[in-house]
Amino acid sequence: MTDLSFENVSITYRSSTDRGDVIAVSDVSLDLPAGATLGIAGESGSGKSTLIMSALRLLPKSARLDGRVLLGGKDIKELSFGEIRAVRWAQASIVFQGALHSLNPVREVGKQIIEALEHHAKGTWTTPEKRRERMFGLLDEVDLERAKASAYPHELSGGQKQRIMIAMALACEPDIIIADEPTTALDVIVQKQILSGLADLVADRGISLLMISHDLAVLSAVCANLAIMRHGELVEYGPSDEVCLQPQVEYTKQLAGAFPQIGDPESRLHPRTLKPAEVHRAEPFAMSEEVVLEAKNLSVSFDTRRGRERAVRGVDLKLRRAEILAVVGQSGSGKTTLARSLLGLQEVEPGSQLAFAGSPLPRKAKALRTFRRKVQMILQDPSGSLNPKRSVYEAVVEGLRVQGIRDRQYERVIGALEAAELTPAADYLESIPQELSGGQRQRVVIAGALALEPQLLIADEPVASLDASVRGEILSLFLALKKNLGMSALIITHDLGLAWNIADTVAVMKKGEIVEYGEVDTVLSNPQHEYTQELLAAVPRLGSQSLVRNE
Amino acid sequence: MSANTPAEAAPGPSSNEPNPRGSETRGSTPAIDGAKLIRERRLNNAKKNWALFRADVPALIGAVVLLFFIVIAVAAPIIAPESMLDVTKQLDAPRYAPPSLDHPLGTDGLGRELWVRILWGARVSILVGVAATVMSMVIGTIMGLAAGHFTGLFGGVIMRIVDFFIVLPSLLLAIVLSSVLERGVLTIVIAIGLTSWASTARIVRSQTLSVESRLYIERARILGAGHRHILFRHLLPAVMPLVLANTTLTVGGAIIAESTLSFLGLGDTSKESWGTILKNSMDVSAATSGYWWYVLTPGVAILLVVLAFTMVGRAFEAIINPALRSR
Repeated sequence: MTDLSFENVSITYRSSTDRGDVIAVSDVSLDLPAGATLGIAGESGSGKSTLIMSALRLLPKSARLDGRVLLGGKDIKELSFGEIRAVRWAQASIVFQGALHSLNPVREVGKQIIEALEHHAKGTWTTPEKRRERMFGLLDEVDLERAKASAYPHELSGGQKQRIMIAMALACEPDIIIADEPTTALDVIVQKQILSGLADLVADRGISLLMISHDLAVLSAVCANLAIMRHGELVEYGPSDEVCLQPQVEYTKQLAGAFPQIGDPESRLHPRTLKPAEVHRAEPFAMSEEVVLEAKNLSVSFDTRRGRERAVRGVDLKLRRAEILAVVGQSGSGKTTLARSLLGLQEVEPGSQLAFAGSPLPRKAKALRTFRRKVQMILQDPSGSLNPKRSVYEAVVEGLRVQGIRDRQYERVIGALEAAELTPAADYLESIPQELSGGQRQRVVIAGALALEPQLLIADEPVASLDASVRGEILSLFLALKKNLGMSALIITHDLGLAWNIADTVAVMKKGEIVEYGEVDTVLSNPQHEYTQELLAAVPRLGSQSLVRNE
Repeated sequence: MSANTPAEAAPGPSSNEPNPRGSETRGSTPAIDGAKLIRERRLNNAKKNWALFRADVPALIGAVVLLFFIVIAVAAPIIAPESMLDVTKQLDAPRYAPPSLDHPLGTDGLGRELWVRILWGARVSILVGVAATVMSMVIGTIMGLAAGHFTGLFGGVIMRIVDFFIVLPSLLLAIVLSSVLERGVLTIVIAIGLTSWASTARIVRSQTLSVESRLYIERARILGAGHRHILFRHLLPAVMPLVLANTTLTVGGAIIAESTLSFLGLGDTSKESWGTILKNSMDVSAATSGYWWYVLTPGVAILLVVLAFTMVGRAFEAIINPALRSR
């Protein structure tokens, strides 16, 4: 068995740009005894990935490491290249972030697992037959069918790919598994499966686990100890229950609060953030009875290679003025298709009825253009939604130009940016997207939609790609827009906590159908449909170490 | 802009409509501000790219060589009057004189100075090279954009037309075209332009397809944009750098094609061009008779100009695509 310990580790990236040297990790000491579980939490840029990469000497050449990283009592700095190769995989292995990109797209996944065995075989799996047997054994362990060995990565779902990555990490029976955001791109149900799989492995085989994530609840579900990192420094360390439930440091409180506990009245319609958006109306708008958008028996199908697939089946929805409706479901449940069809971007099946402000959705190009002035959509990925070559001003003014609004363009842009809480707006006009942070980009996209003064805003996973602290800011912005402008919003998400934070009503979608629909308080506090119950149960709860203890 | 910032920074909690304050604090022509911002940013970008180009030594050498050839082509009538090409006035000049101080690049079989012929030949060769390239780029960009943007039958039909021109042996088509059409420089331009656009169209189409799948195109659609806006505001600017880089690389090919056609005797025989000089040299078996300067001079001229265009083109490419810079 192998212990891993970081002793006063500092890591600096040398940089030739005018930013100078960047200190990624400063003076961190952590211990991971054999068989233990440790979670490191922090936002992007906190140095958590850099720290764990140093454990296997995987840092780029521009990085300088001070202090000692001990693996099984040996300083990894003193190992030769051959020795470090032997350590990688055989003693410690990594499950990388984003399994979707870590697999070779043109090789069968089974062969990729065998590849790890071939490179790091300890002499146990000497023949091709034995390696094949081992590969099937690994698939059993991560709960995948053996037939999946001959599948290519694109034929697997995100969760299945992540399991393949875990199988590869387990291939050479390592003593330590290092997992870098293993469930970030996955929805709650798959996340629970992956996490409980990891927890089982740790418990059954005495493997030690080092896991990093931005989500405290995920870490606390599996790990016994938690470390919180910020700006390269260790700010808090302790048993996970203590860190989560009685945080000592303000920053930890903020992280813990970013992901709301469903059922906690304090976070209901109140996303926790240090920078809440301003509500400046004496009588803020509230949900009214005036129906803005109505869908009846809405169905959408696609032609795929496997024949015609129905993505949305007979959905009925009603969206009132100043209502925030959250559509919740797993990936592949047809949420995005539903949103696109509400905007007229997606052909609907005959028999579907869509009405905006009482009249049916237009079909002709010109009428659709006018319609889109009133209904706007925000796409999933704020970075991709902005043309990298165009400035913030151009991005926001684009809608006005397209719609032929010529007067007072400059003021409208400034106004929209300010409504999206990007102040002082004039400072941002010349920036291009790459100079902005993720949260700022999302604000620019929102401002681009707001410039048209829409009555309805559809948002597809508006906070999925953002850090925890930014998440609260953007959610509170949505609430403020509703209260200040009386705007209705339909928010698509896989995150039930988001619905609890800001939505008035919630619709739970499964396989293209809405299985439960109603007021947030009713649905989430007292779910009727078993799928809603399943979704709720899969949401990790802070400090419970639920997955380890239940098994 | 930044001078105005403090005024903007004061938040006005009482305002609830999107745009009440801008008109108060800002000057009388706020609409121009936005446009000015965009212009300034583009100017800055151009300056940055120019600095990158200047740092590239091969590109600078290429640019200097190009400039040299363009200047001598434009100034040819001043440097060497056209009468120097008139055979009837060269009766006293030595024939096949090797390069010497009196005859810097040697003379041809009719006693004409080769350097004069190169000078005059540069006019046609470079003109045809550039004009044919522009023609091929314009056609290629339009067809490529259309094929990439429009799906369904229309896009399919365009792609089949592109395929047709790709599989057609281009030299053969150029020969047919230049023998069917009236002889002249314009004919050569058309023959080369019409036969070389297809590969550009392919490149532009693939770039268009990749840009087309970006989210910001979808966002433009959501904002209500039609085909025209997406084509001209997003797709064209995105493919333009690629087209420009491709242009400089294609010019070399077009100059060679012009020389080939002239060499085959399909050019305008009344006009000097580097290909014509090469053809004349072959007619008198210059290479086997020991008149090496007769073959080498036009050959080296073609080589220099094509190489210069390629070096400049590579620098353009590296500016557009920073990933290439380290290679």
